[in-house]
Amino acid sequence: MQKDFHYYATYCAAYLAGFSHEECMELCYSAQFVDLCSASLLTKLNGPKAAATTQLQLELMDSPADILSLQNITRIWASFHFLPGDLYAAKPKCSKSYLQKYRLICRPNGELLVRTVERAKGSSLQAAGIAMHVLADTWAHQNFAGTPSLVINNTDSWFFELLPDDASGEGGYKRRRITFRPNPSMKDDLENSVYQNSLFQNNENSIMNLGHGRAGHLPDYSFIRYQYLPAWGEYEAITKDNPSDYLHAFTQMIEAMKFLRGEREAFLPETYDLAAIEPYRERIDRIIKTRRADACEDWKAFGEELSGQVIEDFDLEKYQEEYMSARGDAKDGTFLGRFFLAAMAQKSLVTNAIYRSGNKLAGYSVDYSVKGFRGIRDYRSLLDAVIKKEGHR
Amino acid sequence: MTIFQRIRSVIIALVMILSGVLMLCLPDIGYAVAALILSISLLLYGIRTLIYYFTLARHMVGGRGILYIGIVVLDLGIFTLTVADNMEIYILLYLLAFRLFSGLVDILRALEARRYESPGWKSKLAVGIVNILMALLALAAGIVFRSEELLVVLYCAGLFGSALARIATAFRKSAIVYIQ
Repeated sequence: MQKDFHYYATYCAAYLAGFSHEECMELCYSAQFVDLCSASLLTKLNGPKAAATTQLQLELMDSPADILSLQNITRIWASFHFLPGDLYAAKPKCSKSYLQKYRLICRPNGELLVRTVERAKGSSLQAAGIAMHVLADTWAHQNFAGTPSLVINNTDSWFFELLPDDASGEGGYKRRRITFRPNPSMKDDLENSVYQNSLFQNNENSIMNLGHGRAGHLPDYSFIRYQYLPAWGEYEAITKDNPSDYLHAFTQMIEAMKFLRGEREAFLPETYDLAAIEPYRERIDRIIKTRRADACEDWKAFGEELSGQVIEDFDLEKYQEEYMSARGDAKDGTFLGRFFLAAMAQKSLVTNAIYRSGNKLAGYSVDYSVKGFRGIRDYRSLLDAVIKKEGHR
Repeated sequence: MTIFQRIRSVIIALVMILSGVLMLCLPDIGYAVAALILSISLLLYGIRTLIYYFTLARHMVGGRGILYIGIVVLDLGIFTLTVADNMEIYILLYLLAFRLFSGLVDILRALEARRYESPGWKSKLAVGIVNILMALLALAAGIVFRSEELLVVLYCAGLFGSALARIATAFRKSAIVYIQ
């Protein structure tokens, strides 16, 4: 997903869930910031590197092909963009190394998603924003894994777009072959179904095989429906219906945020607040289904109509000065400080779950309550924050 | 990273350093050793690709292509071993491709880091320039001066760099702390 959904649509969902305009702004800013909080940015801010929630293309190209870098990539992408759907999924007659990768495939409504949303409850708005980013991406990025893997993330050249076919009657589709070009400078040609994707690399751990790179930006477009053969799918075609998935994501976000506000007792998987969007159903459907690369304008207009307030454009530098000028412990109380703590908490949660399932692809996780503090030093600030919070209680 | 992986990383790094020192101290056989290392690398890559096919890629849609690549590379490795005494061009190509690519990526990364006002961009740029200079030097050594010794020195410099990076990686803290 991109800014149109993570920023503007998240604002709309938060408002429909009952948050105030100011709270919605903090929440959607955090949701969008997940796509921008890279190690390069953290270096500039002098923030904790362990709080990185994404990696720039050149950061990925620059990372050495050693096991630590692969674990770091997996931690970031599995925790924030490709949340594993079932860490104990079964697949007969395959090796352990294959199974470990297979189990990282992202799917909506998994146990980890419930834990992600539950973890955000009672925490900051930044934690809520991060959880909404993760939730939304489980719909868009499903069937791909947040680890570099040719055998999981590659796609066959058999790739078709499903276009509404008026001639065939109500609800019919015609297929049009999709052409992919691994040219980073080209723009997607929506009219002719020519899309950019990552270069085919037969190296299992190449960063070209991370996430949905081989399927280009298709998972990030809300309007598109397509059929393809995923590398892991044993030659069975998958039909991806993004309009339906995006609607599910939107209504599940409302449900989750109602839980975060205390309006629901529990966050249950496969529960969608369709009633909340009933008065706006046609409008939302139209925004989602309109064929274009970016729906920011329409989501923004819808959000502003809902709240009667101006939704300011996303400004990456908005909170940077506040963080950089804060001293010592006061940094954790700033907007970005709270975001960094929430990001480390999410990464810690997902890495621990993957590690406990017997899977080392995201690296080692040391349980503080059992073994004390060992490992990456950045997590000390998360520990201090937790101790402080417990002390207040 | 497991303790075994850390130990393995350090041992490989030490072997790399030792090979580099050997090549520099014994210039008569240095060139042949470098050529042998390249041939064996090709052979090992072929074997690794076949193992990759049987453990992972056989489950993949279109995975049979990996099997064919493995067989072809293995065959190529065996072939190059038989002509290892005449491989100047392979070392030159290896040095050129590797250094040029690394240099370009480093420079692009430096420009990106500069855009983000990240303080490390100057050192990154310097590393990129050094890599490109080494590629040009390899080109000059191979084509202009026809100096086998200089090619070996450049190859060894790359070996030492990779070995040091491996040792640094082996001692990095890597565990994620889980705090409930």
